[in-house]
Amino acid sequence: MTGPVQQVLRAMLEDAAVPRYGLEISKQAGLETGTLYPVMARLEGVGWVESHWEAPELSIADGRPRRRYYQLTRDGAEQARTALAEISGRREKRRSTLGSAWPAPLEGTP
Amino acid sequence: MNSRPQVQAQTTTCHDDALAGLRSVLRVTRPEADFELIRRAYDVAASWHEGQTRRSGHPYITHPLAVAMILAETGADDEMLCAAMLHDTIEDTPYTPAELSREFGARVAALVAGVTALDQAKDRRGRVTARAMAAAKSADIRVLEIKVADRLHNMRTVEFISQARQLRKARESLDVFVPAASELRMPMIGAELETLAHTTMKRNRHARSVSGRLLVAVTALLPAATRTRWSEEWLGELHTLPARRDRIGFAVHTALGIPRLALTVHLLAKGHGRSG
Repeated sequence: MTGPVQQVLRAMLEDAAVPRYGLEISKQAGLETGTLYPVMARLEGVGWVESHWEAPELSIADGRPRRRYYQLTRDGAEQARTALAEISGRREKRRSTLGSAWPAPLEGTP
Repeated sequence: MNSRPQVQAQTTTCHDDALAGLRSVLRVTRPEADFELIRRAYDVAASWHEGQTRRSGHPYITHPLAVAMILAETGADDEMLCAAMLHDTIEDTPYTPAELSREFGARVAALVAGVTALDQAKDRRGRVTARAMAAAKSADIRVLEIKVADRLHNMRTVEFISQARQLRKARESLDVFVPAASELRMPMIGAELETLAHTTMKRNRHARSVSGRLLVAVTALLPAATRTRWSEEWLGELHTLPARRDRIGFAVHTALGIPRLALTVHLLAKGHGRSG
């Protein structure tokens, strides 16, 4: 799982039930939109995320075109939580292994 | 010879509800209308359009019915109302002009043929040409009236088509159909059409900006079936950014991600990426 995918999932898991539009996710995940949209396409393609158009009445009342909203699927939210937990677990483990092999871990050097 | 879909029984059971509105309008505007004939035109159109849907997801027949309703409000005659019901059957279903003529007479068939011809007489930008409008006008002015009513209903439901097409239809409505409505003395229709067209143009104003054009242009790199979805999604975001600088930034950054997006979409279509 690439870094940007993790960033997107972390941002979306903050409140998994809330549908958000791309611009919002890109700000919350700290990603440029050029990085974000391919990630969203992928997550949607594998079924972790679903997207839908906002109701036309809402955008018409605001005098603008409709926006597309993304939301984690129930299954996607669950798998994302598991995957992210696994990744941070591995990172933890690697850090402790590295720590015992090298007396001065890289992160610790000034 | 085409066989009509076997759905007659089903449409007959529910058409009373669908036609109730039309009937009550006709009671006021044309009490002498041959409602049985109009009902038959509805039934035939409904059976041919069975299974087809509008972009809104509604059954296709709701459109010709709405066009007939608009015309009924202006006091249109029976032939026009039948032609309105049947106006898309020749173009969009296997129904033939000969069958239509046999079932509803040569005059209704000529009106439908006139509307169909007007739909097909487009220039390379997809616009109805002034020449085609003039030809329709001199052949039978009722063809134009049906076409104007058709456009009015299409503009009433314009939010369901892509933004690029919304803008094209709005522009064409202002240039061609609003003047036609005033010439045809359909002032209420002309006024509503003009308001709908202006609202549509205003709602999609950024689509014609540098940022909007860039975003639409770069979708050429994506598979054809996915272009509209992405361009529309991005134009939707673009319109929420109040500052021009932010809109340009959004357009440029998004455009830079297109090659990657194209690859992702391509791989997903081929069934890769299932591993999550």
